[in-house]
Amino acid sequence: MNVADLPLLSLITFVPLIGAIVIAFLPRDQPGLIRAVALASALISFGLSLLLLIGFNPTNPAFQYQEVHDWIPAFGIQYKVGVDGLSTILVVLTTTLSWISILASFRPIKTSLKEYMISFLILEVGLVGVFISLDLFLFYIFWEVELVPMYLIIGIWGGANRIYATLKFVLYTLVGSLLMLVAILATAFTFQNATGSWVGAFDFITLRNFAVTSGFVGNLQLFAFLAFFLAFAIKVPMFPVHTWLPDAHTEAPTAGSVMLAAILLKLGAYGMIRFAVPLFPGAAHTFAPIIIVLSLIGIVYGAIVALVQPDWKRLIAYSSVTHMGFVTLGIFIFQEQGLQGAIVQMINHGLITGGLFLLVGVMYERTHDRTIAKFGGLAGRTPVYTAAFGFFVFASAGLPGLSGFVGEFLVLLGSFAFNPWVGAVTASCMIWAAAYLLYMFQQIFTGQLSDFLRGLGDHLTDISPIEMLTILPLAALIVAFGLFPGLILHLVQGSVTTVLSEVQAVSAIHLFFWQ
Amino acid sequence: MTWADISTIAPLAAAIIVAAVLIVTDIVLPGRRAPALVVAFLGLAVVAGLAIAVGRTPGTAFDGAYRVDDLTTYLDVLFVAVIALTLLFAPDYLAARDLPLPEFAAVLLFALSGVMLISASADLLVLFLGLELMVLPGYLLAGFAKRDALSTEGAIKYFLLGSFSSAIFLFGLAFVWGLTGTTRIDGVATALKAIAAGSTPLSPGLAMGLAFLTTGVAFKIAAVPFHYWTPDAYQGSPTPVTGYLSVVPKVGAFALILRLFVGALGPLSADWNIVIVLLAAATMTLGNLVALTQDSVKRMLAYSSIAHTGYMLIGLAAWSSPNSQIAGLEGLLFYGAAYAAMNLGAFAVVAAIQRRTGISSQLESFAGLGRRAPLLAALMTLFLLSLTGIPPTVGFFAKAYIILAAVQAGGPAGILAVIAVLNAAAAAFYYLRVVVYMFMREPKGEPAPIVIGRLMRTGLLVSAVLTVVLGLAPGLLLTLVGNAARALTL
Repeated sequence: MNVADLPLLSLITFVPLIGAIVIAFLPRDQPGLIRAVALASALISFGLSLLLLIGFNPTNPAFQYQEVHDWIPAFGIQYKVGVDGLSTILVVLTTTLSWISILASFRPIKTSLKEYMISFLILEVGLVGVFISLDLFLFYIFWEVELVPMYLIIGIWGGANRIYATLKFVLYTLVGSLLMLVAILATAFTFQNATGSWVGAFDFITLRNFAVTSGFVGNLQLFAFLAFFLAFAIKVPMFPVHTWLPDAHTEAPTAGSVMLAAILLKLGAYGMIRFAVPLFPGAAHTFAPIIIVLSLIGIVYGAIVALVQPDWKRLIAYSSVTHMGFVTLGIFIFQEQGLQGAIVQMINHGLITGGLFLLVGVMYERTHDRTIAKFGGLAGRTPVYTAAFGFFVFASAGLPGLSGFVGEFLVLLGSFAFNPWVGAVTASCMIWAAAYLLYMFQQIFTGQLSDFLRGLGDHLTDISPIEMLTILPLAALIVAFGLFPGLILHLVQGSVTTVLSEVQAVSAIHLFFWQ
Repeated sequence: MTWADISTIAPLAAAIIVAAVLIVTDIVLPGRRAPALVVAFLGLAVVAGLAIAVGRTPGTAFDGAYRVDDLTTYLDVLFVAVIALTLLFAPDYLAARDLPLPEFAAVLLFALSGVMLISASADLLVLFLGLELMVLPGYLLAGFAKRDALSTEGAIKYFLLGSFSSAIFLFGLAFVWGLTGTTRIDGVATALKAIAAGSTPLSPGLAMGLAFLTTGVAFKIAAVPFHYWTPDAYQGSPTPVTGYLSVVPKVGAFALILRLFVGALGPLSADWNIVIVLLAAATMTLGNLVALTQDSVKRMLAYSSIAHTGYMLIGLAAWSSPNSQIAGLEGLLFYGAAYAAMNLGAFAVVAAIQRRTGISSQLESFAGLGRRAPLLAALMTLFLLSLTGIPPTVGFFAKAYIILAAVQAGGPAGILAVIAVLNAAAAAFYYLRVVVYMFMREPKGEPAPIVIGRLMRTGLLVSAVLTVVLGLAPGLLLTLVGNAARALTL
C-alpha cells in the first residue's frame, strides 16, 4: 500500500482519540502506562504530521490531502478535510506542542491522571480538526469539541480561582461561537436559496467560489461577518473581549496555559484568515478600520497592563494580547507583508509564549508561587534555567535573529505602507515590550537571592533534562525561523496570495447608516 | 365499526390490553417486580411492532375520526421508547421507597394509550379524549409517593391547574366547533381556509376560541407565563416520574399542537403566529434565567425543561413561513426525540444518586461524583453537554436544526434564532455548574456509596448511545421526521 493513499489527515486527527479511548480502559493504578500511552499517541500523531509536512507541495495553491465523505446528505454536509500551507503549518504546530505539553505534565499532574490525559488527547483532536475542516458544519463541531476538554483542564487541575476562570472562558467562547452557528446556517441557507440545492451549502470551497463569483448579499455579509468575527475575536482575543484570557491563562495548569497560548488563540486568527475574510470580503473591508483601531488599542493596552502585573503568568498573558494584536492588525490591512507577518507571528507566538509558560511551570513546580515580587537573584542558583528563560524573553521582545523579530517586522512594514500613523503606534509598542519583559527578567533573575527563594533551600534545583527536552525543540525552531523565515513564508505563500487576491478584488459594502 | 377499523386501532388497543394485563398480573402475583417488568416490556415491543406494521398503510378509521399516517407511527414509536426507558429507570428508586412497581407500569401504559390517541386523532373530540387520557395518569404518578407531603402537594397543584387548563382548552374547542360546524380536523381546516381567504376579518368568537386554545396548550407544554405548576410538580414527584413528566406530557402536548394548530388551525397561522413567537421568546428566556438561580438539580432541570419548550416552539413559529414549513416541523419533531433521550438520561442520573432515601437533589449531592462514581458522572456530563447543545451530541444537532428552520423563516422567527443561541450560552452556565460540582468540588463528609442496578445501567447506556449516535449520524432520524412532517402537510 502506498503511503500517499493513507487518509493522513484523519489519522493525525483521530490517533489521539484512539489513545484516549485506550486510556479510558486502563486501570487507574498504572500511572506509568497511562502516561506512556498518552505520549505515544501524541508522538504518532506528531510523526504523521511530519509526513504531511514533507509530502505537502507548496507550489500547488489548492487544498491537498483532501478526504471527502458524505455525512448528512439531506443538507449537503460532508466530512471534508484538506490542507493548504497555512493549515499544514498550524497542524504541525499543534501536534508538536501536544506531545511537549503531555511530556511536561508528567510530573505536575498527580490527581486524576487518567481523566487529564483523556481530556488532553481529545483537546488535540478538536484543535487539529479545526485546522483541517473544509466543511463549515464539521468546522463548527471541532470548534466546539475543543471547548469541553479545555474547560475540564482548567477547572479540575487549575489554580485556586480555577472555577471562576474556566466558566468565564467557556461562557465567553460560547456566546461568540453560537452566534457564529447562526451565521453558518444563514450562509448555507442563502446559498441554498440562490442555487436551489443544499449540495455544497456547507462546503468551504464551493462557498468561497460563490463569494468570489456572485458574492453574498450585503446584509447577510455584514451580519455573518460580524458573527464570525466576534467568535474569532473572542478567541484571539482582541480588545475589548480579552478579559477571559488573563484569568484562564493564570489559573490553567502549565500544559493548559501552553496549549491555550500556543494553539487556542491561533484558532481565532486562523478563522479570520480562512473563513471570515474570504467568505465575506466586502464586509471585511467595511469593518477593517474599526478592527485596525481595536488591534492598535490591544497592542498598546496589553503592553501597558503587562507592565504592572504582579503575577508571572498574568504578565505573559497580557503580552499575548499585545502579540495577537499584531496578528489581527496584519490580517486586516489586506496587504502582502501584513498577512505574511500575521501568519509568521502566529507561529512565533505559539513557540515563544508556549516556551515561556513551560518555563514558568518549571519554576512553579519548585516554588509553588508566581508572585514576581517574591523572586530575585535566581541567576546565581539556576544558571541554565536563567539562560533558557533569557532566550525566550529576548525572542519575545523581538530580538533580530530570533523568530519573534520577523513577524513583528513584517507587520510593521505592512502597516507603515498602509498608513504611517498606524505604523508609528505599532512601532512604539516594541519599546513597551522590551520594558515589561526586561523588567520581569531583571526582577526575577538578577540581584540578591530573595528571602522567599532562600527559604526553599534544596528544593530550588536547576532545570532537569526532561524539562530541557520540552523546551529545546521550541528553542531550535525559534532560531531556525529567525534565521530562515523563508521556511514559513514559502509554505504559506499560496494561502496568502489566494486570500489577498480575493479580498483586494472587492470594495467595502456600505453600512446603511453610513451611506 | 368494521374489521378495518379494528385493525387500524390495533396498536392503541394493544396498549390498553397490556395495561389491563399488568393489573391482572399484579392481582395474581401481588407485588412481584419481575413478572410485571416482563409483561410490560413484551407488551411495549408488541405495541411498537403493531404501530410500525399498521403505519405502513396510512389510512383512516371510524369515519375519519382516527387517522394513521407517518406522524402517528413516528410519535407512537418515540413514546413507546420513552415509556420503556422510564420503566428501566424507575424500579430501583421505587423499590427503595416501597412503592409498587406493577401499578406504576400499568399507569404508564394507560398514559401511553393517551398519547397514541392524540397522535392518531383526526377529530377535535378524539384529540381532547387523548389529551385527558394522557394527563390523568400524570396526576396519579406525580402523587405516587403517597406518604411524601411534597409529592402530594405537587400532585394537587398539577391536578388543579391541569384540569383548569383542560377546561379552558375544551371551551376553545367549543368555539371552533360552533363557528365551523364540524369537529373533524380537515373539515375545520377547510372552513377556516374560506375564512382566511375571504376579506372578512376574524370574528370575535373565533379569536376567543383561538385565545382559549392557545392558553390551554400553553399550560400543557408549560410555556411562560403558564408554567407555574411545573417546578413544584416536577420537584415533588418521585425522580423517575419527573423524568417521565418532563417528556411524555410535554412532547405529547406538542403532538396535539401539531394536529390542532398545524392540522386544523393552520389557515389562521397569520393570526396565531406572533403569539407563538412571543411565547417562544418568553419561555426560553425566563426558563433559563430562573434555572440559573436554582440550587436543586431537579428544580434546575424543571426550569431547563421550560426553556426547551421555548426552543421547540421556534419550530412551530417557523412553520408559518412558506420558506420553512417542512423544516420547522422536522426541527420540532427531531427536537422532541433528542430532548427525550437527553432529558430522560439526566433525570435518570439524579434518580440513581437519590436511590437511597434521604438524599436530596441539591448540587451538594453531586460533589465529588467524578471520583465516587466515574461512569455516572461521565454520563451526566454527556447529557448536560447535550442539553447545552455542544457537539457531537444530539442536542447540538437538534438545536442547529431548529435554528436553521428559524433562519429560513426569517422575520420574527429569525430573531428567535438569535434569542435562542444567546439563551443557549446562558444555559451553559447552569448545566456546567453541575459538572463543576461533580469534578471540581469535594463532598462534605463521606457520602454513602452509590449503587447502580442492572436495569438502571442498561437504561443509562441506551440513552447515552442515543445521545451520541443520533448526534453523529442523524440521517436515519432525519428521514423519519421528514416523512412525518410531510404526512402532516399533505
